[in-house]
Amino acid sequence: MAENIKILVVDDEPIVIRSAKRILGAEGYDVEGASGGREAIIMMEKKNYDLVLTDLKMPEVDGITLMRWIRKSRPETGIVVITGYPSQETIKEALELGIIDYVPKPFTPAVLLDVTHRALEWMKGKIPEEEIPKEEFPPSMISELDRVIKEYKNKPGSTIPVLQRAQEIVGYLPPIIQKRIARGLNVSTADVHSIVSFYSFFSMKPRGEHIVKVCLGTACYVKGIEAVVTKLKAELKIEMGGITDDKRFSMESVRCLGACGLAPVMVIDQDTHGTLEPKKVAQILDEYRPVSKETT
Amino acid sequence: MAEQQQYRANLMVCAGTSCVSSESFKIKEVIEEELKKRELEKEIGVVLTGCSGLCAAGPVLTIYPDGIFYQKLKPEDIPYLVEEHLLKGRPVKRLMYKIPEKRAAIPTMMDIPFYKHQVLRVLRNKGLIDPEKIEEYIARDGYQAAAKALTQMTPEEIVKIVTDSGLRGRGGAGFPTGRKWELALKIEADEKYVVCNGDEGDPGAFMDRSVMEADPHAVIEGMIICAKATQSHHAYIYVRAEYPLAVKRLQIAIDQCYEAGLLGKDILGTGFDFDLDIYQGAGAFVCGEATALMRSIEGKRGMPRPKLWRSAVKGLWDKPTVLNNVETFANIPQIILNGADWYRSLGTVKSTGTKVFALTGAIRNVGLVEVPMDMTLRTIIYDIGGGMKKKGRKFKAVQLGGPSGGCIPEEFLDIPVTYEAIEKTGAIVGSGGMVAMDDSSCMVGVAKYFLDFTADESCGKCVPCRIGTRVMLDLLTDITEGRGKEGDIGTLEDLSHDIIATSLCGLGQSAPNPVLTTIRYFRDEYVSHIRDKWCRVGVCRDLATFYIDEKICKGCGICLKACPSKAIIGEKKKPHKIIQELCVHCRTCYEVCRFNTIKVLPAAARMANEAELMELAGQIEAWAGIEMEEVE
Repeated sequence: MAENIKILVVDDEPIVIRSAKRILGAEGYDVEGASGGREAIIMMEKKNYDLVLTDLKMPEVDGITLMRWIRKSRPETGIVVITGYPSQETIKEALELGIIDYVPKPFTPAVLLDVTHRALEWMKGKIPEEEIPKEEFPPSMISELDRVIKEYKNKPGSTIPVLQRAQEIVGYLPPIIQKRIARGLNVSTADVHSIVSFYSFFSMKPRGEHIVKVCLGTACYVKGIEAVVTKLKAELKIEMGGITDDKRFSMESVRCLGACGLAPVMVIDQDTHGTLEPKKVAQILDEYRPVSKETT
Repeated sequence: MAEQQQYRANLMVCAGTSCVSSESFKIKEVIEEELKKRELEKEIGVVLTGCSGLCAAGPVLTIYPDGIFYQKLKPEDIPYLVEEHLLKGRPVKRLMYKIPEKRAAIPTMMDIPFYKHQVLRVLRNKGLIDPEKIEEYIARDGYQAAAKALTQMTPEEIVKIVTDSGLRGRGGAGFPTGRKWELALKIEADEKYVVCNGDEGDPGAFMDRSVMEADPHAVIEGMIICAKATQSHHAYIYVRAEYPLAVKRLQIAIDQCYEAGLLGKDILGTGFDFDLDIYQGAGAFVCGEATALMRSIEGKRGMPRPKLWRSAVKGLWDKPTVLNNVETFANIPQIILNGADWYRSLGTVKSTGTKVFALTGAIRNVGLVEVPMDMTLRTIIYDIGGGMKKKGRKFKAVQLGGPSGGCIPEEFLDIPVTYEAIEKTGAIVGSGGMVAMDDSSCMVGVAKYFLDFTADESCGKCVPCRIGTRVMLDLLTDITEGRGKEGDIGTLEDLSHDIIATSLCGLGQSAPNPVLTTIRYFRDEYVSHIRDKWCRVGVCRDLATFYIDEKICKGCGICLKACPSKAIIGEKKKPHKIIQELCVHCRTCYEVCRFNTIKVLPAAARMANEAELMELAGQIEAWAGIEMEEVE
């Protein structure tokens, strides 16, 4: 079970390295030692380790410095701290750097094994940060999103405005974008999702290039929007809330657009189309289709 | 404004949402081109204004100083209009408003019945100023009230004027505005908030939208005065996401105010600080409810909380908060300038001043109207609204107050639109949506429509509202699709009372109103749906057989052409008939027929042969008459 797992033990006391090698090596781990921070960095530059067990107090390059370097350069490596007399400040700093656990010195073989096992288990369960597919979300889009998140971070009540801006930028709010926003704003993903699912303005499904919003307000109802909807469905071959195969149109219903004077009414993108009749539908949609399609 | 005074005439082109969608921007462009061609651009000004109210006639244009009103303009009309009216001084009758029966053109805006009966206070600037220019608002006494409130009045004095004016919350509930402000003023707190509710969610309502689009500064001024009165220094305007134009114009107005020193630190040198932000909603109807709205501003799911304390005590971020509707705030500056007695001079003792209504539905003049609160429904619907749009159709009901309101039948048309009188009918004034329905509307269908809305928009917090409305909706669906049972009406009523009694917020407490009022006034329709499986106006497809009365049919062929399933046959000028087997019961023929020839029979009649059908038709007409009386 411990095959191919590489562990680096960093301590200025050789006895620690020796006993760690003996205890963990017996379990089949591939253990190496470094006598200080500098040596550890040089070794890690050459080779990847899964887990680093490090002392905090070491001459020259200390444990905290080493951990900062690991976080920056080898973020996927797990860190466990071995320490004799942890002060509150150093432990706090270590925790902020994302250590998995710590082993008090002196340690018994059982404690070291246990902590190592648990640290490795924890790392297995740790979901690697989801890669955002570049084809769908180009980096420029994501950096724009991150900029918005940064702008609103630390402002109270900023989740909804950020989600609105995010939807403008990305077009919709898939789980991966929700997660990124949650992380960026330092709120839970559940909180973000609860808002996205509550407000009808937010869409978790991709939307078409043109968004057809049909008003289902009272005035539109009285004036026969239903026939228009039937025609739209037939024309676009989609249901309410759907998107056409060519991703050109998606259709949504809106409670009231507040343009009752024009009932029945729909909005495509920013254009309001009023006093609709089923027979006008095809012509209106054609305005949003590429010219070439009309001529063929 | 200084610039404009040099013009010999000003063209006010309406740029409300309705007119914009019928291309008023294009109209303005063509006008400017034409003026240039004739070298008139230095003599004549062109202004884009907010909604001027008569949305049905858009795009509209008013030419001042004469106030000549032109409607339904097309770009190709413009060269002629410019040539005739502006160059030769001959107004163009062809493009003026006409009363359909009389055909005589009415040249000036104030003579058009739609405008004549209105009293403009909240909408006083509509169609007169460019909402994107603060100078024009200031030229119409803008920000004088704010200056007066900030420099000459104590908070107590402001609260007293507002209390004395009798102004009540225009958002729906009608809570006295002055009392709300007084509560907030008296509470000591390190921070207080002013919030403007522009989350106009009622379907069929667009008053707040029009105010925000046509006169955004009036709302801001009202909020500044409220801030002074309650000693608050921060405010939000919560606007629906569906209103992008309103957001844009408010943002422009706010930016102008910051620049002019009307917002920000040390307003007008008085040492009073006040900041104002726009907060865009995200499409949840329940957020129009005060506590849900504040939750939403806090960045959470917009769910209401129990009202153990008033928002004026603990509102946004648990600080004292004054939350008023757009129209309420827009009323404030005029009250401060003209005094409480002036405001009370209109309306009744308990419902003072004016109210803006969004008049829509099966009515001729669709649009935005502002009337004194003691005006009767009849005046609004017939004199201002111009009566039913479709020839031969009669008025059946008017729906007031959206999903929280109810349907008022013809017998109550002579009541005034005061909070008290409307409440007695089972409806509410609400935010001011007024949807007129003619006798081709199915009231069970209308009730179902509103319940579908509330069932969908229920936030889900309270079981009675979440599940109760769903169960009621299922019952109504059954009734409209022919599965209605005896006793359903009673069940609907019982459920309604339970939901009203046990829901936390206004949404649930009022959701059953449309059902209760339609049962109360149109019980016979429910009975005929359930017992006879008959929707007498043919809206409920499964409960209707369409049949052409051969005695009346003139064979004009309109229905024959309109029928989507080609189920109508007949020769020209001879009575047509419907092949029942081909009919899909879409009701198109019923709607297009100009002679009222299409009759609706119960679903069972589909199986009858021709002779039986005729007989049934005769029988049922007689029977229907008796039954109506019995029920009443």
